[in-house]
Amino acid sequence: MATEVTMPQMGESIAEGTITKWLKKPGDPVERDEPLFEISTDKVDAEIPSPASGTLTEIVVNEGETVEVKTVVAKIAEGDEASGGGGSETPAPEAESAAEDKPAESAPEPAAEAPAPEPSKSESSKPASAPAASGNGGTATREERVQTKSSPLVRKIASEHGVDITQIEGSGVHGRVTKDDIMAHIEGGGTQTQTAPAPQKQQQEQAQQTSAPAPTAASGPTATAGERDRVEPMTRMRQVIAERMVHSVQTSPHVHTYYEIDMKRVADIRKKTKDAFLQRTGGAKLTYTVFMMKAVIDNLAKHPAINASISGTDIIYHDYVNLGMAVALDGGLMVPVINDAQDLSMVGLAKQITDKATRARDKKLGPDELQGSTFTITNPGSFGSLMGDPVINQPNVAILGMGKIEDRVVAIDGAIAIRPRMYVTLGYDHRLIDGATAEKFLSGIKETLENFDETAL
Amino acid sequence: MANAEYDLIVIGAGPGGYTGAIRAAQLGLDTAVVEMDSRLGGTCLLRGCIPTKAMLHSADLVSELATAKIAGIEVADWKIDFAQVMKNKADVVDKNAKGVEYLFKKNKITTEKGRGKLIDRNTVEVTQDGESRTIKARKGVILAMGSKPTEIPVFPVDGKRIITSDHILDLEKLPKSLVVLGAGAVGTEFASIFARFGVETTLVEMLPHVLPIEDVDCSKELERSLKKDGIKVRTGTKLSKADVEPRGVELTLEKDGKEEVLKTDVLLVAVGRSPMTKDCGLQEAGVRMHERGYVLVDDFMRTSVEGVYAIGDIVPTPALAHCASAESIVAAEHVAGHDTHPVNYKTVPNATYCRPEVASVGMTEQAAKDEGYDVEVGKFPWAASGKARIKHQTGGFIKIVRDKKYDEILGIHIIGPAATDLISEAAALIHLECTNEELSRIVHAHPTLAEGMLEASHAAAGHPIAF
Repeated sequence: MATEVTMPQMGESIAEGTITKWLKKPGDPVERDEPLFEISTDKVDAEIPSPASGTLTEIVVNEGETVEVKTVVAKIAEGDEASGGGGSETPAPEAESAAEDKPAESAPEPAAEAPAPEPSKSESSKPASAPAASGNGGTATREERVQTKSSPLVRKIASEHGVDITQIEGSGVHGRVTKDDIMAHIEGGGTQTQTAPAPQKQQQEQAQQTSAPAPTAASGPTATAGERDRVEPMTRMRQVIAERMVHSVQTSPHVHTYYEIDMKRVADIRKKTKDAFLQRTGGAKLTYTVFMMKAVIDNLAKHPAINASISGTDIIYHDYVNLGMAVALDGGLMVPVINDAQDLSMVGLAKQITDKATRARDKKLGPDELQGSTFTITNPGSFGSLMGDPVINQPNVAILGMGKIEDRVVAIDGAIAIRPRMYVTLGYDHRLIDGATAEKFLSGIKETLENFDETAL
Repeated sequence: MANAEYDLIVIGAGPGGYTGAIRAAQLGLDTAVVEMDSRLGGTCLLRGCIPTKAMLHSADLVSELATAKIAGIEVADWKIDFAQVMKNKADVVDKNAKGVEYLFKKNKITTEKGRGKLIDRNTVEVTQDGESRTIKARKGVILAMGSKPTEIPVFPVDGKRIITSDHILDLEKLPKSLVVLGAGAVGTEFASIFARFGVETTLVEMLPHVLPIEDVDCSKELERSLKKDGIKVRTGTKLSKADVEPRGVELTLEKDGKEEVLKTDVLLVAVGRSPMTKDCGLQEAGVRMHERGYVLVDDFMRTSVEGVYAIGDIVPTPALAHCASAESIVAAEHVAGHDTHPVNYKTVPNATYCRPEVASVGMTEQAAKDEGYDVEVGKFPWAASGKARIKHQTGGFIKIVRDKKYDEILGIHIIGPAATDLISEAAALIHLECTNEELSRIVHAHPTLAEGMLEASHAAAGHPIAF
């Protein structure tokens, strides 16, 4: 009868171990509880005793290899059966166990005790139940590893996203990959997951607040609250913003470029037409943002790379403009999306802006109104800022920031003039967009606004 | 007197404290529990879960008697013997408290009688009858002092006319009328008990629905059912005045600016529970506090003081016995240096043992929508269940909330017979991240109440089978 020797579980959170040294060679006689091999795991290095007496017939996992707990690493044949082919005469024992000074004794012993050993009774009951995958006898199959490390939900998510679960570090019991783990993996948060830490290591660290920690780029100094500090949990919205911002900065190499635009023509047109416009919209104002949106939509059509997304090594070009607009809220912001903005007139755009901004503030937007943008506009200028470096709203590849419009002294045709001017920033993803493309797009915006076609109204 | 020294000191012998103490002892720690009450068990065992459920059992028998005749069993004459109800309750409590004593003995846990106060990470002061002694902890201290009923200063509790859940458990005779302020689990259960004992009962809740933390469908269903049982339910209603008079309390209720005056024998204030962290030396020892007297802890229940842990009703997590026990085991294992895993708060079930019972785990439909999930709901009405029909308890339903995108089961909400037992399957499903489809392929025995879960999953997938 053969006993399969398996990688033992050296602690509840240990999922695998590395064989550092075999103390016996195939053909060697071994006694039950005699050291058989040495392993190294995350937590301990240990000498593993043989679960049975007999002859080591096969080493399945070699030194240096890392395998899952319960994987069969060797086989021991018991009693005479082992040495069926001239066991007592095997050449190895003498040389190998010479140092142990009782080579002669150990060899015959198994035979003498032949009736006694009952393999499954060996101190650990685990090995007996382990080798469920009888046939191949080797390491656990991929399928088994997936099964042991996942849940129905995780497997479903993995299949939809084509993710290999075995590559994800799990934070669940026994390293199980949880929904949070796989979502973090898919969202590009990398593989840093929170596993049950060894208490000893943790004890020195300062206690932090309950609830999932907000995502941070990497491990760095952590804040701890003192007596005069006030601790409040992040709102859900704050957590989402934190997650998305970190993700965006980690995903896209941001470059920012700035243009200054003369807004005189737009200001003149606006002044002249805004009252009539207000009547046409039934209450939605002709703001500078409406002009900017119009200019952006027109120029995105000419520069498809700006109105695109990246998927792995593919570029997805959008032949429509779903325009995201950042709306500041108490304690956060949202980016409602105007779908198919290319089909809307300026009246339509103005109505949409008013409607979405109002409902964003009243928290009445549906989830589908907050996703699917292809490009985003933000207007920090409305608070007075001259220019800023906005973070890209993923999966967009660019974002346009509007600065405050103010009268500035400029030289026009050799004369000094006072004109309403605005700085415009384009933040773009250098993976896809190069400087030249960005410049062409922004200069197109400048051209459109400075020579605004009144008939567009 | 020589100071006693232990590996671990647990302050408080409630369901949190005693569970952690036993786990620690199993892991080889020499453990002591400090308890100021003469009996072990804390709120749950002495003044909460156990005595109330004993009384609810009596009330449920009243409900069963109502259907007994239909089922062919005629009971000629029956009455409510309230003194015996209370004696039965006291006996159940006593036996359970002795059970904890036995467990302590079996696990060689020392009980240090007295009130515990944290001095530093290694020292606890125990005061009994005015005398103080200090005991030492080599490895850790677990704070598990628990909570007490929250009182409202404008309606001072006198223990006679204005009472808390602590007092109502010691009533000697049934009042004629009872007004319960607060329709959370505690208030609703007492209303459900006393109404069935024939007490004229009114349930007052400031929020728009009873059981405000539950899915609104369950709340509405329960409200209908409570009213059918003769309970006056006043939701969206504020208690603005309570004048104690010689023969009762005169209450002024306010709803939408309109006032209603109500006289009652007794007003039960059931508006929540407050952590018992005052005068326990926490701030002095450097334990960082959260708001409103709660202790700040991390995932492993560690406070800001190394070696000092806090669990249960004194930390800002659900104030439920089963949550406290789970937290306490994490803390005990952590102290012992044993592998452990943080409590999964997403799968802590809520349970209210009124009739019909209400229980839930995971997200309500509204919460799931607010989180941005693409939600689909499946509901299985008990009226379509053979087993519920047999038991003559066909009110209510099982409701599954699932995410359409990945088919994740986000929440399960049950109102009806055995809801509080059935919810454990739901908790397991969510804890193990089951999809709705996999649930629909788990074979459930027939005829059972539990198979309702299967039917609800078919409904959530859009193709109900049995109704």
